[in-house]
Amino acid sequence: MPLFPRPATGSQSAGSSPSGPTRRFRKAGVVAAAAAAVMALSACGGGSSPQSADGTVELRFSWWGGDKRAQLTQEAIKQFEAENPKIKIKPEFGDWSGYWDKLATQVAANDAPDIIQMDEKYITEYSTRGALLDLSKYDIDTSKLDEAALNAGKGEDGLTGIPAGINAATILANPKVFEAAGVPLPDDSTWTWEDFGRIAAEVTEKSPKGTYGAAAYGTDEASLGVWLRQNGKSLYTSDGKLGFEPGDIAEWWAFLKDLSKNKAVPTASEVVEAEAAPLDQSGLATGKNGMAFWWSNQAPALEKASGADLKILRFPTKTGKAEDAGLWYKASQFWSASSRTKHPEETAKFINFLTNNVKAGETLLADRGVYPNSDVRAAIEPKLTPADVKVVKFIDQIKDELGEAPAPPPKGAGAIQEIIKRYTSEVLFERLSTDEAGKKAVDEMKSAISS
Amino acid sequence: MSAISELSSLSRKKGKATAEEKKANGRDNKAAYIFLLPWLVGLVAITIGPMLMSLYLSFTDYNLLQPPEWTGADNFIRMLSDARLHNSLRVTFTYVFIGVPLQLAVALLIALVLDKGLRGLPFYRSVFYLPSLLGGSVAVAILWKQIFGTTGLVNQVLAMFGIQGPGWISDPGTALGSIILLHVWTFGAPMIIFLAGLRQIPTMYYEAAKVDGATTIQQFWRITMPMLSPIIFFNLVLQIIGSFQSFTQAFIVSGGNGGPSDSTMFFTLYLYQKGFGQFDMGYASAMAWVLLLIIGVFTAINFIASKYWVFYDD
Repeated sequence: MPLFPRPATGSQSAGSSPSGPTRRFRKAGVVAAAAAAVMALSACGGGSSPQSADGTVELRFSWWGGDKRAQLTQEAIKQFEAENPKIKIKPEFGDWSGYWDKLATQVAANDAPDIIQMDEKYITEYSTRGALLDLSKYDIDTSKLDEAALNAGKGEDGLTGIPAGINAATILANPKVFEAAGVPLPDDSTWTWEDFGRIAAEVTEKSPKGTYGAAAYGTDEASLGVWLRQNGKSLYTSDGKLGFEPGDIAEWWAFLKDLSKNKAVPTASEVVEAEAAPLDQSGLATGKNGMAFWWSNQAPALEKASGADLKILRFPTKTGKAEDAGLWYKASQFWSASSRTKHPEETAKFINFLTNNVKAGETLLADRGVYPNSDVRAAIEPKLTPADVKVVKFIDQIKDELGEAPAPPPKGAGAIQEIIKRYTSEVLFERLSTDEAGKKAVDEMKSAISS
Repeated sequence: MSAISELSSLSRKKGKATAEEKKANGRDNKAAYIFLLPWLVGLVAITIGPMLMSLYLSFTDYNLLQPPEWTGADNFIRMLSDARLHNSLRVTFTYVFIGVPLQLAVALLIALVLDKGLRGLPFYRSVFYLPSLLGGSVAVAILWKQIFGTTGLVNQVLAMFGIQGPGWISDPGTALGSIILLHVWTFGAPMIIFLAGLRQIPTMYYEAAKVDGATTIQQFWRITMPMLSPIIFFNLVLQIIGSFQSFTQAFIVSGGNGGPSDSTMFFTLYLYQKGFGQFDMGYASAMAWVLLLIIGVFTAINFIASKYWVFYDD
């Protein structure tokens, strides 16, 4: 059966038969079919941000994060729109977990948002494949930005990300949990990993059932990165390879297993459940954990969710000396732009606003980390909330203890977190020994970043 | 079936049509095609087009961000040595081969009870059907997560009896079982079909059996089961096809990662992760075609086996 009625050839139509109305009917049908098909196809390939008749440009801006970030960011958008009435910014935001699947799909469908909040784990992936705009070619002032943070957004493909904030890996402690257990808060300038384990176990013991001294690490690469740096290794090398051996990660898991055995951290099942919980429902926010591993910029949001006066702690060390903690300044997030944006100028204008405008700084404060622009940082100081001040203080405090900047995550690094998580649960449920898990995990990681 | 055969016999009877009739026929056909158009456009643009595209992609290396590169059968060869893929097949087969028979057994049991002519049958029928409407939904999967969590409803009830339950969905040993249970719970659709099938069995068989002194159990095995076998077969085929493709429940319950420790990593979930999470859409497309093949093979086996146990009355 033919899908469509065969169109009449010239000679046939010139001559006889098909009566008038039928022929017109048929033609109309073919036209309708074509129109429908075109409409269906164009709907799939739809580019972003049309320009309306009055010259107003609409840009799409997507980010991940919780409620607090959504409020602050939408506030900043309003201020930008007030200054630039011809540009409309359409926000798209959601949780971290679904963000990357969605972004990959949008980029593949040629429907990427114009402004993209980017993470270091994925920036190489996207930039080496030509999905991000080289922002150095546009009018964005980077002269006031922290140099190390700015460099993190540079690569072979140009400046594809402007740092949105500066971050450090921390342990956040909830004093309420410590008080209830009658355990003093640790001194983070001298504590060792043994102290961490001992104190956490003590808190668990003296707390009601279901409350633990610390959350388990092993659900992302930050805590692994710190551990490796303290042992003279690193997550990645500067030539884009894995910077550690199976034995190194096995040791890290062995210590976690000890913590678990001493009930310093929750049971394996609870660890798995906690992974899925968003920030507002995490163990620290709900008062179920005395300490937990977070980035410094997440402290204000967690403080809001927990209602406690959280304390920011340095990571424990092997030696008990704070300068051996191996911390570093991380670009918390980047502002990136789609290389296929139809309005690169306007997009750059908005990124410039977020980066250099004091008003934007006064709205966003320290939610995405300490402002990398020194001028804005100074100007917004009086506006900072007590929680933000704590973060800024912490970042300043560790300045002289920092290790060297880590190598940027290579292409494929986005898969590493999932691998760490999976093998952490294999270890905690005792389905694999730490050595086996180390070997298998490193094999998988190697193939993830080499492909 | 019968409508079509009637039509074709009709057209055979007509034999040679006059020119006038032919013209009228042609007009009818054109009208039919035009009415078909919306569906045809949908079929081509939304189903066949993407399917052909995915067939092409399955022979390429496609990372979503750059144009695909032809790599021949490379994706299929890689599958042979992909331990996580083999695990996902194991998980999916376990789900299908335990979940489907269990679900059909429950559906049949409830249908038999309802068939006994309860008062307010429409009400009960609706109540039992409800999970089927909800079961595949995101909301229920989230609810399931709460009920079977470490401090969820199930463990709270167990605690009353002094039993410390595991974290049903966060323990690799019980997570898949919890999802199979969720599947079994959505027995409503096959139940409704069974109920309709039971109503079709003439009561005279049972009356005759009773006169001959057959017990209820004998009646069930000798009358109900054979008479119902075409319906069972129909449900079996549908449920197996559906279960192989099941995705939502595992995705929500495991938070999208098939965890803990890949214990709920369904084939479809791994496909999704490969395609959208790890920039390996070529491989994911190849997986989709392997799944199609698997479903095709099992459906064929089903149809071949049906000759030996399905009994058609007519």
